[in-house]
Amino acid sequence: MHSFETKKGKVIALPSGTPDTILDIDVTPNRSHDCFSHLGIAKEISALFSLPLKKSEKLRRPAKAGIGVPTEASGEKADAYLKLDVQEPELCRRYIAGIMLDIKVGPSPIWLRERLIAVGQKPINNIVDAANYVMLEMGQPLHAFDMDKIKPVKIIVRRAQKGEKITTLDNKNYELDESMLLIADSKMPLAIAGIKGGKKAEIDKKTKNIIIEAANFEPANIRSTSQKLGLATGASAGFENGISPNIAPLAMRRVIDLIWEIAGGKVVSEWIDFYPKKVAPSRISFKVEDVRKLLGVDVSKKEIISILNRLGIKAKKGKEGTIIADCPLERLDLEIKEDIIEEIARIYGYGKIPATLPEGILIPAKRNDGYFYGNIIRDILVGAGFSEVYNYSLGPTGEIEIENPIALDKKYLRANLLEGLKNNVRNNFKYFDEVRIFEIGKIFRKSEKGVEEKNALAGIAAHKIPKKSSDELTEIKGVVEMLLSKLGISDFWFDDVKEGTGLPKIADIKIGDDIIGILDLNAFEIDLDKLINLINEEVEYRPISKYPAVIRDIAILVPFETKMTEVLDIIENTGGELLVDTDLFDIYEGEDLGESRKSFAFHLIFQSAERTLSDKEVNSLMEKIIKAIESKPEWEVRK
Amino acid sequence: MPKKQQPLAIFQSLRKDAFEALDEAADFESVHKVESDYLGKKGRLTNILKSLKEMPSAERKVMGSTANALKKEIEGKIKLKKDEMKEKVSGRPTSHWIDVTVPGKKILRGHFHPLSRILREVTAIFESMGFEVAEGPEAETEYYNFDALNMPKNHPSRNLMDTFWLRRPAKAEVGAPTEASELKNKSRYLLLRTHTSPMEVRYMEKNSPPLRIIAPGRCFRYEATDATHDIQFYQLEGLMIGEKISLANLKGTLEIFFRKLFKNKNLQVRFRPSYFPFVEPGVEVDIKLDSESEWMEIAGAGMTHPEVLKNVKLNPSIWQGFAFGLGLDRIAMTKYKIDDIRLFYGGDLRFINQF
Repeated sequence: MHSFETKKGKVIALPSGTPDTILDIDVTPNRSHDCFSHLGIAKEISALFSLPLKKSEKLRRPAKAGIGVPTEASGEKADAYLKLDVQEPELCRRYIAGIMLDIKVGPSPIWLRERLIAVGQKPINNIVDAANYVMLEMGQPLHAFDMDKIKPVKIIVRRAQKGEKITTLDNKNYELDESMLLIADSKMPLAIAGIKGGKKAEIDKKTKNIIIEAANFEPANIRSTSQKLGLATGASAGFENGISPNIAPLAMRRVIDLIWEIAGGKVVSEWIDFYPKKVAPSRISFKVEDVRKLLGVDVSKKEIISILNRLGIKAKKGKEGTIIADCPLERLDLEIKEDIIEEIARIYGYGKIPATLPEGILIPAKRNDGYFYGNIIRDILVGAGFSEVYNYSLGPTGEIEIENPIALDKKYLRANLLEGLKNNVRNNFKYFDEVRIFEIGKIFRKSEKGVEEKNALAGIAAHKIPKKSSDELTEIKGVVEMLLSKLGISDFWFDDVKEGTGLPKIADIKIGDDIIGILDLNAFEIDLDKLINLINEEVEYRPISKYPAVIRDIAILVPFETKMTEVLDIIENTGGELLVDTDLFDIYEGEDLGESRKSFAFHLIFQSAERTLSDKEVNSLMEKIIKAIESKPEWEVRK
Repeated sequence: MPKKQQPLAIFQSLRKDAFEALDEAADFESVHKVESDYLGKKGRLTNILKSLKEMPSAERKVMGSTANALKKEIEGKIKLKKDEMKEKVSGRPTSHWIDVTVPGKKILRGHFHPLSRILREVTAIFESMGFEVAEGPEAETEYYNFDALNMPKNHPSRNLMDTFWLRRPAKAEVGAPTEASELKNKSRYLLLRTHTSPMEVRYMEKNSPPLRIIAPGRCFRYEATDATHDIQFYQLEGLMIGEKISLANLKGTLEIFFRKLFKNKNLQVRFRPSYFPFVEPGVEVDIKLDSESEWMEIAGAGMTHPEVLKNVKLNPSIWQGFAFGLGLDRIAMTKYKIDDIRLFYGGDLRFINQF
């Protein structure tokens, strides 16, 4: 548990019959610059198991005896053969061109072919294979051009022109634009820089002289080009994640050795090396105390230095108790001391980190109102027989559109909850005759600022065999009333919507003039943000009086179509400040009242914040109220 | 004596006898005996009723109706007597006697969504540890979702999460900006948040440390759906910043949390190295329920990256802390043994009513 997730090795047989094992390693993006390579993984393993790494001289050497260093072609340097013009130094930070003459193109030796096949690469010829091999071994993408196909011998690293075209090695055509970097000669493109080579200077059987490229390109640019063209290769993947420019010369040395071994030829000394802005490997200083503080465990100075050395990070003691870490040139991920501390932690072992509870003053957490009231609402509705559903936020209708929808029926962000609930009802009717469901969730509308995101609450009580409209309405209205009352909201009312307006609602739910939701035949949807604000306000405005309250009851006979709010209005207006609450506790529509009449009964609660009310005061208020009620010709207070 | 009077007299004396016998009956057996003596197969009243056949029709009528009326009367008295007996046995007035074994009337009750249940449990555990619940927008800006979390444009770390972009009104521009300077305008370039980590930034911009929060919420990823992946899912972000909050504290906090959640004191927690741009060190968190189970990946976590702290104007040499993100759908599926994530968003009552 120290480096990367690795899948159990697949045992394969190489074409020569030798058995081998394939490891599938999930290299995290921050380690791709050093671990997208066999060498990088080998270094990890060396650090983990304290196994020494083979020195590079001991890597595969030429088989012929007596040959140590490749011979030189002549006293000339590479720049006698080739002119290099890097026009975009920001996008191409380093360009090394090496030249080899009189090489013989042919098939690669078996050992090389096998290793390429094992990791899923197709062998092509000894030159191309050597370049691929070294890329896989060291993590530096390389490319080889046939020098004789480039006349005059000039390599230009430039941006493409809009509409410029290239045919790549696999015979595909691409149209480029000015954001894309090219390797070109004076006439045409030779390669899409850092991504794929072109057909023009392809290595073929007749190739005699080659230019080898070991370069370093800016990651964001490569990523952008790769995405625009829809072309991803091993090279592009490497450059996208960033590679240290200091690896290029090591890889050039290695590939020249390898090509010389398998294809012969002569090496032209002194490569062309365009490298204006040198990148120095990181040097990070930190204190042992920093390690202990971040990890919460005591790692000794000795152990820290030992771990870092194993990773190839040269660590030595600095001034005033600091440690100075000089990082290997290929490790681009080590920039700040936290990066070093991570290296220490993972090699030391996360299993050795203890589980300790944090110290610190425990400040009691502030209550999140939205979350708190959301749960109260859930409790109320579940208790009333409603089940909670969650629907998709994306659907076929809405005001806010998705740029890249994943499906045609998920092109919009939902603008209400009821559409989803109605859909749920239809589906559930296959199995249930009655469906009572609710949802609390976010809805999205257009606003001047762009997107307005709101919290909403909606519910439906549906019957497969529909009941009488008035019954369905009464049912859902009852639910809304119960919910709002339980939340402490008392002054809500239902404002009928005119018929024929075509709106999917029967009434607006209002507090004063403010619409907080809508009511439909068997459904409701409420603006939860508004509701929660109101709950808080309600709770705040009621001062608690220490003086006792007096309760009187009153029953009023009214014509059948009288709205309860009409009656309540008169009572409250007459009752004034001392009437702190009115509570409807009965609606009576018995036959004995006569056909066209009904009776409302209220508890009237009187209370003062300053004194105990006397019977006389309350009586006189009651008289006022009764007089006001009876001033209405058809209303009567029941005695 | 006229013949007519005699039969009526028979009834009267029969009545007298039956009532006396009932009055005297002291237990069920005696009552049953009276019942049988008068109304049974060979009972006195039964015999009279049988003998009605032999009588001429006019007599039969009178006798019949009297007999039946008497039968009813005696039956009534027998029942009363039986009730009295039952009362004596149960001590309860028989008019209220109820068979308690009959199933109760079903009370209509709804069901919470399983994700609501899990969220409630999870937040209760963290609230008891002093964590505040913070919530934020599902439609987020590129700044809060990526840039402020150390994931600049064109950085390969963005490959880790496939994003839904919102179409910008009026202009046909796609969500992603081309000029770095445009990003400073935080309210532009909207997307659907791919994780709940933006809440860390939003909260820290408005609140000073020391702090500890959890931020639950719906997230979205452009991914092919299957039994364990859907385009929307719930994450829970956790953040604790202080002067000395360490990786060991992260382990301690998560250990307590998972043990309480799964009600298992022996649950184990382990870390494996991983990478997230907004933490360093970064780890994957696995849990093991018991000796028989396998290790299960349950969260990503790490120590908040100094870049993130700098972005919210906190000095990394004074403040440090941990962050974690766990998948609530995954936890719910494990706890309730649900095998398909898509069931959460289907609105099917056959599923929801099981909770």
